[in-house]
Amino acid sequence: MLTYVIRRILILIPMLLIISFLVYWGLELTPGDAVSHLINPEAAGRMSAEQLNDLRESYGLNKSFIERYGIWLINVLQGNFGHSLAGGVPIADIFLDRLPATLELSFVALFFSTVMGSILGTISALKRGSAVDSGLTVVGMLGVSIPELFFGLVALLIFALELGWLPVGGRLLPSYTSYWDHVPNIVLPALVLSLMMTAGVMRYSRSSMLDALSREFITTARSKGLPEWRINLLHGFRVALTPVVVLIGFRLPVLIGGTVIIEQVFQWPGIGNEFISSVRGADYPLVMMIALFSVFAVLLASLIIDVLTALIDPRVRLS
Amino acid sequence: METDHNIALSVKNLKTYFYTNNRCNRAVNGVSFDIEKGKTLCIVGESGCGKSVTASTIMQLLPRLSRIEEGSITYHSDAGDIDIENLERNGQKMRAIRGSEIAMIFQDPMTALNPVYTIGFQIGESLKYHTDLTRKQIRDKTIDLLRDMGISLPEQRIDEYPHQYSGGMRQRAMIAMAMSCNPKILIADEPTTALDVTIQAQIFELMDRLKEKHNTAIMLITHDMGVVAELADDVAVMYMGNIVEAGTIDEVLRTPTHPYTRALLDSIPVLGEGKNQIIEPIPGSTPDPYQRPKGCQFAPRCTHYSEQCDIMPAETQISETHRIMCWKYQEFATNGK
Repeated sequence: MLTYVIRRILILIPMLLIISFLVYWGLELTPGDAVSHLINPEAAGRMSAEQLNDLRESYGLNKSFIERYGIWLINVLQGNFGHSLAGGVPIADIFLDRLPATLELSFVALFFSTVMGSILGTISALKRGSAVDSGLTVVGMLGVSIPELFFGLVALLIFALELGWLPVGGRLLPSYTSYWDHVPNIVLPALVLSLMMTAGVMRYSRSSMLDALSREFITTARSKGLPEWRINLLHGFRVALTPVVVLIGFRLPVLIGGTVIIEQVFQWPGIGNEFISSVRGADYPLVMMIALFSVFAVLLASLIIDVLTALIDPRVRLS
Repeated sequence: METDHNIALSVKNLKTYFYTNNRCNRAVNGVSFDIEKGKTLCIVGESGCGKSVTASTIMQLLPRLSRIEEGSITYHSDAGDIDIENLERNGQKMRAIRGSEIAMIFQDPMTALNPVYTIGFQIGESLKYHTDLTRKQIRDKTIDLLRDMGISLPEQRIDEYPHQYSGGMRQRAMIAMAMSCNPKILIADEPTTALDVTIQAQIFELMDRLKEKHNTAIMLITHDMGVVAELADDVAVMYMGNIVEAGTIDEVLRTPTHPYTRALLDSIPVLGEGKNQIIEPIPGSTPDPYQRPKGCQFAPRCTHYSEQCDIMPAETQISETHRIMCWKYQEFATNGK
């Protein structure tokens, strides 16, 4: 197991290299560069071609694409992530500042959707064909098919603006004295972010549970005279769990992508918010680091899922 | 009555019906038999004749859309008779019988064991719910059981998962699980269909040995006449939800009386008779359970059909132990082989 994990981590290195190159190349293909975004068109119109060229030269934008990628890579390998072109802030600082907010939001949403999704799905499977099951099915279909952006806006309108139960947005306000003061702030964005995934996990754990309950070992368990709760939970749910864990792993990238939208809607000061402005501003160093971080998070998540699967299903051997 | 003490389970006029889309499948349609302690009752018949449903009915392991319509299943326990048909399906009383008094082993040991738990855990579960043993005692007993079943290195094998066992070993583990609480009755639903022939023989030998040792009554469901000849004390031949002929092994195999039993026996190749032996397949196929023949269920395929057969024949006792459902039994009983 340990050698497997180490090998998987080592494989991450070439993957990150390839992906970083692809992202850098993709940015190169987009029209315009940092200079054309930094200076408004009017000012740019008044500057001479030479001045603009000097400006580009000072940012190193006139060097060839491969050369720039090389410089960036060497710097990153030395632990120097560079500065944001837009504000001149060190990128490491931006990460330290913004990352906790995004991680907090993602983990709360992940936790909520996993727990709620599997519980509701299991209830749905055990009460198959009942009104509860039908109700959950309808809710699940709505959750899967309606985009988060819409849910976000509706939730804001109802719970923040109409009812005034929860704050409209933001995270740590100056008036907050304890870390827990901002719990009301996270409720809406986390709920909305997790909605789609909760619905997905619910539908999936329902079918996985139904599949497990129809297997022959359930009859065997019943023939041993075990009580129903033990048959359903120990024999049914435990077997149904493996595919659900894999699904959650597959959904993690969606969750990370989802934070970008939700952070916009709820003005959540996370990486996702930063990502949008950096892409708009062709802020290469920042875009690169955020993209690489997302890729790293997804790859790491898939490794964790593999290890988890091996832990809960003895038939899976990591090799 | 002397003999009554030896009876472990009596089934009387049992009817189990399945319901789908407002249609009713009379899967078990009036079946009666007794299982004696220390004896093996073989139930034989084609696929879909109601053998397995009879077994599931005794254990109350029926699917949701089915129910015991009529009849009685009486379990003669040490503490008095229990009418199983009146017990709540997954209620406490039924659960106390399952696994402890009546145990069951299934056709396919590949799927009948839970893949995510160790063999030891799955055998221990029975002991945990039916005995007062401590955790340590359960483990020791499980190791003993595995050793009894002929599994080598039981101390090590107890912590392995089903996928680490071979097919034959899994069925041995299943039997260990079923025998863990010394049940009075063991129901085996085609326990060797999924195994290869050499393993089959070993499994049957094991079952026979356990029967001798613990005086267990065995109800063995099979469609293999060779197995019947080898193991059975009593035989019941089922066709479309009825027992068409039942008796001791000698009566049924030596003087088969019902046309179906005879057809069944004629359709089996005999080892050693060479390739020129005549094998008579039974003409036609089993009727659609939703469009049953009016009278005798076998009539449309029977070579001895006459108008009389459009009315369901009653059960006739032709000797103390031999009974048959056929209008023309006298003809066959005298002309019998």
